[in-house]
Amino acid sequence: MNALMIKGLLFAAVLIGATIFVVESMHIDLSDPINLITMIGAIAIAVLTVGVSIKYINQMKTDTASGELTDENWDGIGEYKNELPSGWAYSFLGTIIWALWYWTMGYPVNAFSQIGQYNAEVKTYNQKFEEMHKNADKATLQQMGESIFLVQCASCHGVTGDGLSGKAQDFGSRMTKEQVLYTIKHGSNQLGFQMGAMPPMMAQGKDAEEIAAWIAGGMKGKQPAAFATCASCHGPDGKGMNGMAPDLAGYNETLVKHVLDHGKTGEIGRMPSFKTMLTPIQDKALAVYIQSLSN
Amino acid sequence: MFHWLEKNPFFFAVGVFLVIAFAGLVEILPNFAEASRPVVGLKPYTVLQLAGKNVYMKDQCIACHSQLIRPFKAETDRYGQYSLSGEYAYDRPFLWGSKRTGPDLHRVGNYRTTEWHENHMWDPTSVVPGSIMPAYKHMFSNAADIATAYAEAVTVKNVFHTPYGDDIKAGKKAWEAYRPKVLAEAKKIAANMKNKDVKDAVNAGKVPEIVALIAYLNSLGSSRYEANKVK
Repeated sequence: MNALMIKGLLFAAVLIGATIFVVESMHIDLSDPINLITMIGAIAIAVLTVGVSIKYINQMKTDTASGELTDENWDGIGEYKNELPSGWAYSFLGTIIWALWYWTMGYPVNAFSQIGQYNAEVKTYNQKFEEMHKNADKATLQQMGESIFLVQCASCHGVTGDGLSGKAQDFGSRMTKEQVLYTIKHGSNQLGFQMGAMPPMMAQGKDAEEIAAWIAGGMKGKQPAAFATCASCHGPDGKGMNGMAPDLAGYNETLVKHVLDHGKTGEIGRMPSFKTMLTPIQDKALAVYIQSLSN
Repeated sequence: MFHWLEKNPFFFAVGVFLVIAFAGLVEILPNFAEASRPVVGLKPYTVLQLAGKNVYMKDQCIACHSQLIRPFKAETDRYGQYSLSGEYAYDRPFLWGSKRTGPDLHRVGNYRTTEWHENHMWDPTSVVPGSIMPAYKHMFSNAADIATAYAEAVTVKNVFHTPYGDDIKAGKKAWEAYRPKVLAEAKKIAANMKNKDVKDAVNAGKVPEIVALIAYLNSLGSSRYEANKVK
């Protein structure tokens, strides 16, 4: 045991004593584990500091140079040939293996994908949405329909659904006389109904006028005889035979869905398809809301 | 070899550069090459649409409208399918924008029509109550610069090999021969419009800015490539 060691141990003892003195004089409660651990930590730091210092000071005093020098020297300063530390060497081998994995699998196959994250998010949301609104009641659908209408439909059909004075379909009623006449004249094969295409000029002249006036008037009063032609597809009541053909009397769910899916070009102009923008429940909600507008 | 490198700092630096550059190349280049390729079926803008794109830039639509739908549900619910980098392959420059005072327009052709744009550009509040967008009535009288748009098409065809047809080539004669095609396209747009001055101008062989702009806006969306997609 040399003089340095004795001095070091004395110094450590002083540090430990000082620590304990401070703890005692400040009346620190050592039954609180935080305080106890802090004090033990302070003592450990004192001991470690003294121990490490003694080791290196001794080494500096006694070490002599030995070993083989490398070829290089920099202005007279040389370098020993040392073995690679094994921890370093194994870590390096590890990074090479990791690099191989990253190059073949990690980057090309397992990489983060923003689109993948988006798809997962949408899928989860849609599942939750479908589940939540599977048996939605009318009030919920009405509310949902109104929200969708205000975002997607209102810019053409107007906030109240009145079609902005003829710029788009007015949901307050079903069809104007001009619209009926236009469709009779041009036929229609846009909506993809099961009944198929409606040929142009099914009715002409006075017959067409009568049919148009009757439909535009809300199908009140006596049905014109010429409507029999229409009835073969649209049904005697004009309601479209349970979704086989468009409903002429109102906006039933099938009609709304077909128009949203296919868009429509008619007397007013063109409405684009909203197929990719809406889910089936949203279509249904829009139908409920639009029906409420014409009542 | 490594001792030699340690003694030659210059070549050591070159070596370090090569190693890091290689890592960068294998990670960046493949993605970059794929992302800059046009989406399958993408058509370049027609001359009329290019003229409309220039109107869009001239009147600074980009100050309030973006053209980049990010892959977030909140955005795709409102504007439709998220944007793909390959859709901008023929946009020189692209008009992503960074400010959304108004809505994103990258899919506006999917859900708005010629008639709607006509009403909206003439008086925005007539279709969108509370809109703060100004009216752009001057577009109904100003003539679009279709000659410059044609020159632009010729340039990108020659410089970047944008796939335009053989009828787009340099020279006044070629332009004179091509002009009727632009007018025919303009007529199709004007046929769906109601403004009489615009219709008269198009019939007289002029193209008002509004017609070119609507042609451009209608082209924004999946119609630019969907129709040509290989099924």
